[in-house]
Amino acid sequence: MAYLEIKDVHLGFGTPDNRTEVLSGVNLSVEENEFVAVVGFSGSGKSTLIALLAGLLQPDSGEVTVAGQPVKEPSPRLGIMFQNYSLLPWLSVYENVELAVKQVFPDLRGAALTEHVNRYLTMVNLLPATAKKPGELSGGMRQRASLARTLSMQPEILLLDEPLSALDALTRGNIQDEIIRIWEQDRRTIVMITNDVDEAVLMADRIVPLTKGPRATLDEGFEVGLARPRNRTTLNTNPEFRQLRSQISRYMRTLNDESKQLNQQTVVDLPSSMPIDFSVLPNRPAKGRRRPPIIDRETSFFK
Amino acid sequence: MAETTAEKIKYRILRFLDITGFTVFDPMVRLAFGEEPKKQTEAITKYFLIPILFVLLCTGLWWVIAPKHKTKSGEVPTPDVVWRAATINDTFSAREQIKADDFILSGAEREATLAAVTKLIATREADLEILNQALAQHEADYAQQLDQRIEPLKVKLATLSGQNRELRSMAKAAITEAAAQFEAGTVASEAVVAAVRHERQVYADGRASESLIKQAIEAIRSEKYKPMETARLSVNAVANELQFLNKRVDFLSDSNRSLKVVEAEQKLAAQKAELAAAATAKDAISLAKRVVRSEDSLERLSGQQYASAMTVYKQIQRSLFTVFIGFILAALIAIPLGILCGLSRIAMACLTPIISIFKPVSPVVWLLIFQIVVGAFFLDPDSHPLFLFFDSLPWLGSLGINPALIFSACTVAMCAVWPALVNTALGVASIDPDHVNVARVLKLGFWDRLIKIIIPSALPLVFAGLRISLGVGWMVLIAAEALSSSDGLGKFVWDEYQNGSSFSFANILYACFVVGGIGFLLDRMMIILQRFVSFDGGGTSL
Repeated sequence: MAYLEIKDVHLGFGTPDNRTEVLSGVNLSVEENEFVAVVGFSGSGKSTLIALLAGLLQPDSGEVTVAGQPVKEPSPRLGIMFQNYSLLPWLSVYENVELAVKQVFPDLRGAALTEHVNRYLTMVNLLPATAKKPGELSGGMRQRASLARTLSMQPEILLLDEPLSALDALTRGNIQDEIIRIWEQDRRTIVMITNDVDEAVLMADRIVPLTKGPRATLDEGFEVGLARPRNRTTLNTNPEFRQLRSQISRYMRTLNDESKQLNQQTVVDLPSSMPIDFSVLPNRPAKGRRRPPIIDRETSFFK
Repeated sequence: MAETTAEKIKYRILRFLDITGFTVFDPMVRLAFGEEPKKQTEAITKYFLIPILFVLLCTGLWWVIAPKHKTKSGEVPTPDVVWRAATINDTFSAREQIKADDFILSGAEREATLAAVTKLIATREADLEILNQALAQHEADYAQQLDQRIEPLKVKLATLSGQNRELRSMAKAAITEAAAQFEAGTVASEAVVAAVRHERQVYADGRASESLIKQAIEAIRSEKYKPMETARLSVNAVANELQFLNKRVDFLSDSNRSLKVVEAEQKLAAQKAELAAAATAKDAISLAKRVVRSEDSLERLSGQQYASAMTVYKQIQRSLFTVFIGFILAALIAIPLGILCGLSRIAMACLTPIISIFKPVSPVVWLLIFQIVVGAFFLDPDSHPLFLFFDSLPWLGSLGINPALIFSACTVAMCAVWPALVNTALGVASIDPDHVNVARVLKLGFWDRLIKIIIPSALPLVFAGLRISLGVGWMVLIAAEALSSSDGLGKFVWDEYQNGSSFSFANILYACFVVGGIGFLLDRMMIILQRFVSFDGGGTSL
């Protein structure tokens, strides 16, 4: 049995007569110390999936287990790193991390506590900004602080919910490297949600696509056999990488097409409309130019 | 780029201005440090000089319009009159303080002061003599001027009334004539009616023409003669000062505490001697009783302080004290209840009807209710242990805490509780769900979650609510004090309205500015507190 297991999980929201099934029949097994990336389109239920893994939500049916034990409630063992940082804005970076450490390791006091907090802040290169409030930091620094907080709890499983989606390309690359470096130093199980195939291929051991919601489910995964450490600059020319990327991209495109076909009956195409062209006045010919034909005075609808 | 010391100071000042909300002075500081002079001068002109000009314009309008409106309390006071009212109140407070000091002065110091005051009285009396002469001169001038202007009018009035009398007697004669002719049958009855009507018309016309002249005379009499008015004001000022100085002499000599104590001690010594020489047991008892009484009164006397009149500064202190008691009461009720409402939808549902019904109730109604309710607890306030305890405290004792203060404070609390309550509930209820998730992941317990997550996150809104509460409380307090006769600015206004002296109206306007100024400062204080707790760095509105 795998370390982290999702067994036939169904989850929906809404009232009984207006219900949206977000996830249906989701199965996933993650081995210990494996780095799995879940890729999916926006709105396909990725954040719901990670909330289920973290115990923030409970499935309607099915089960999430960690080392054989069902996940009933959130706990510091399942270190989740939220999409929008979720740092407490009234505490400094140090205090944010300290709050988590004090809660998870109540026995740590004084110098040992400071040392523990600083170790993780050093790990994410945030030592110069420890006294700052989150409001004074850039997006990348906030995400690093959030990472430090999650890592400082020394979770058995790291759940990353689109950790880099709000960052610019350059910062994104930096933090990707940082996460990989930390993971290589200090192996643990990681499930990362992302919408970026390149990012997934660069970082993960295995990539699992999430089909389009509603009723999203996990498909067969793609093993990433690229050797580590992976170099982002040379990776682009690596034939294996290119092949894998195009394979996944093609797969995602078919998912998209499939869902379009599935939804054909329900979707009504909006009429393509033409704006009224006020630059051409019907009764006054433009000086020295031929009067262009008036397309349609009213907004025209055609299918 | 290293910051120089000057820049550090500059940014510190700018930060201070930002926190206190005085960003108006921002360009001035920047200009003083030579930063983009042109831009700063422009900003100063736009946002400082023009507003100041506008305020001056408003003051000017006040100055022009006020004297045009005559009321039963005299003219509407102009700014200078209000300013004079302010200085008079200030002088009065200062003099009360001096009297209080004089009362407890003793020994050589007392004698030296007494000599100085006596000397001052002599010079001031001489001054008063001169001023009185000047005033008499002005009064004579005024009378003469009045005579000169009114005499011709009086003559005119006399001639006019003579003419009118003549016309009227002619008209009366015409009536008699018409009546006689009617009797003789030569004219119809209508002729008599016409004659009577004519006579009445003549009378009314006469009265109208005379009253015109009388009005002109009245107008001249009511015109103010500036030099005389000024002279009278300075005479009054010196006369007041003399009265005050004479009172000082009294407090430095006959009514002085140390002298009274010496006198009482001598009396006691005599009584003790008498007791020692007492012949019979009965005498001894009655004399001993007398000694005990004297000893007691001596003890009281030596601790006595001058009973100062309520000055406006004392009223301000008392008002501030009352409003803070009410505000703290309101906060102590509102914050826990608000947190409860924000946490539990059931609590919110329970409290919503109560909030909705009682929030719009007028402070006047609350005052009356509290007056009855609180009054029932203190049937005999003068000997109630709580008030006796308050009176024995150093600063609170001088404020004179009584049931009126308590129910004024309760009224303030009752009206101030709602904004704080509603805002706290909103702040707690609108906590970011991400922060709740953090608390869940960290498995924080209820109290940890409350103290470490919920309260800090709600704090900015709590303080916004408290700021509104304090503003409401201050407004309500003035009305409550006026109505309940609890000493304070409200009572000051009310007393002025009731006593109707020549300065009352000016004093009321003065109080209006004092109340407004203090309200402004209280609001600023809350803004600063709010800025300290707000983590989002968001500005607060004015």
